[in-house]
Amino acid sequence: MAPLKSLEKEYPVIDSNFQSFCARHGIFTVQDFLLHDLYVLAAFAQQHPSSSSDHLKQGITQMLSIVDEQYHKPWVNGVQLLDDFQRNKHVLSTGIHEIDSLLQGGFREGQLNEIAGPSSSGKTQVCLQVAASVATKCIGSVVYVDTGNSFSSQRIRHFVSRISGPTFNQERDLTIQKVMSGILCHSVFDIFAMFDVLHQLQSSLRSQVDRADQNVRLLVVDSLSSLITPILGGGGSQGHALMTYTGFLLKKLANEHNLAVLVTNHMVGGDGGHLKPALGESWKSIPHVRLLLSRDLQSNICNISILKHSYLASGKAGRFTLDD
Amino acid sequence: MELAGAGGGGRLAKEWIDGDESAREMLRRVLREESRHRFLPLPPPLDRVPARAGNVVELVGPSPSGKTHALMEAAIGCILPEEWQGVRFGGLGRLAMFIDLDCRLDVSLLADLLRARIARPRLSCDDDDDSLRQHELFGLCMRRFLYVSCFDSLQFLATLKTLHYQVQKQTEAQGVGVHLLMIDSIGAFYWMDRASTTLHVGVNNRKGLSLQQVLETVVQEIKNLMQVHPVLVIATKATIMADRHAENEVNRNRKRKSFSDTSVSRNLTSNKEQLLHREYMPYVWQDHMLHPLSGQRTATPANAHLQVKSPDWLQYMWFDRKFYTCLDFAVSADRVAFHGDQP
Repeated sequence: MAPLKSLEKEYPVIDSNFQSFCARHGIFTVQDFLLHDLYVLAAFAQQHPSSSSDHLKQGITQMLSIVDEQYHKPWVNGVQLLDDFQRNKHVLSTGIHEIDSLLQGGFREGQLNEIAGPSSSGKTQVCLQVAASVATKCIGSVVYVDTGNSFSSQRIRHFVSRISGPTFNQERDLTIQKVMSGILCHSVFDIFAMFDVLHQLQSSLRSQVDRADQNVRLLVVDSLSSLITPILGGGGSQGHALMTYTGFLLKKLANEHNLAVLVTNHMVGGDGGHLKPALGESWKSIPHVRLLLSRDLQSNICNISILKHSYLASGKAGRFTLDD
Repeated sequence: MELAGAGGGGRLAKEWIDGDESAREMLRRVLREESRHRFLPLPPPLDRVPARAGNVVELVGPSPSGKTHALMEAAIGCILPEEWQGVRFGGLGRLAMFIDLDCRLDVSLLADLLRARIARPRLSCDDDDDSLRQHELFGLCMRRFLYVSCFDSLQFLATLKTLHYQVQKQTEAQGVGVHLLMIDSIGAFYWMDRASTTLHVGVNNRKGLSLQQVLETVVQEIKNLMQVHPVLVIATKATIMADRHAENEVNRNRKRKSFSDTSVSRNLTSNKEQLLHREYMPYVWQDHMLHPLSGQRTATPANAHLQVKSPDWLQYMWFDRKFYTCLDFAVSADRVAFHGDQP
């Protein structure tokens, strides 16, 4: 965080006198200031002769107003919050009717959604179908982070032609071309490469320079767990820290830029041979919506149920058929 | 009252008889203090929580167990007016502040819950007029709900640092005070803070950013705030760690008792769930919860893990009560069973 010295130019109250007062109490940066008890600091300022103590107190007040303006998000009231929700946080149809009706419309922008399921339960197929649906119907672009080389443009093409229905070849090709150019796929194989992609996305969304990234509605990470599980385990907390950081980064992107985020989580064997999601206890409290996917043996019929939702009851379930 | 000489004594006695305030003033004062000491109206089973200003309550449970939902109910009880245009709503009519560390409050749910509460009593016999008035009341209540989200510990600290100023500003702007401060959830940055270690070379009194330091500062800031504005603090805490040791033990027990009937196995699951909750926050947070803040006399701090079973929105939750109590609120530390089949 910013050193106090760098604030001097803009705020003349924070002069060398105030800086050396702070330095005596171990405050060199705004971060140190945040960790310090201001009542104690003000009491020390009081001990100085009256002219300089007033000056020091002015400095503290100035610092507080800088912190209030720049270092946390502004307070909003319920009316503003609801207004932002209604205006900017739309529901994106998943393209699978049963999931849409289960979730009352689909995935909500601004939310982090998770699909957990065992291997070959159809997680990637759902991701591809949602991406195709959003790119076709919502006229928005999709950022697809692929961690296992499972992205298939043939499948996207198949889904798009199914959505747009029977049309003439030329027209269909045009639609497919448009949709394909709206889906940006990044192949990443470790968590730091994913951070690169996400940070780039964040800065381009902020500056709105890169035209290709404009109007991004959906971010897919398939699969998130395969990036995170290699760094978990062992006694250390670094892996968990990176996992939580990823969660907050995704939620921040979703909230600030009104994206729906969809991540997948594979299943591993737990106690007593029961399958459990690879990202477990500490991950549970991070996503808005958690769905569990499973597939019937030897068929294309999938079961999907709600593990957690911000307002729907958990345990509700639906069935749908995957396309051949 | 000191006893002075004859002349002065007469005057003092007269002053004493005259009293300090008229009954009208006293009533006003008592009512004002009363509203501060009033319990926040909460739906059962949360109505057993000593939810009033000056207390700190922690809600503990796995995800999803309805903790955030419970906070929303608390917020609605706080922002609804006691009475509005002659209709009784039974709220406190004060401001509620929500610090969202999980960053996933669903405001549409809050709005729905609030609308349901407002729609229950009719405000007017004319349909159009009724909906107009409901809309007006809805806006009034929603403006009393104040929200901020934090994506890391430093944002959280910056929010707390300026909370006092924010409370004053909002109180002046809206004409009513803040009664409730919600933190959802206090352990959100646990892993990130645990992994962050900053080392400052050469400066002894400089504080590094660590889990312990962050929590100490958080506790200090809340204490500072509560000295000036005694609010009710409700913090939720997700159980982010499964206690492997306890889990194995319960599994062993279960195998041993596999022949037993369903009621035993139900108890076992509830035991398992209780054992799985392991405290992971630094002691400073617990200490803060258990010790009195300012000049309040305390009864024995009550600390009970309560498992609560549905009303439909609560699948199950633990309920951890650690709070300061005045002597007049003579709560005993015994276990309170909220549902029938708990032993």
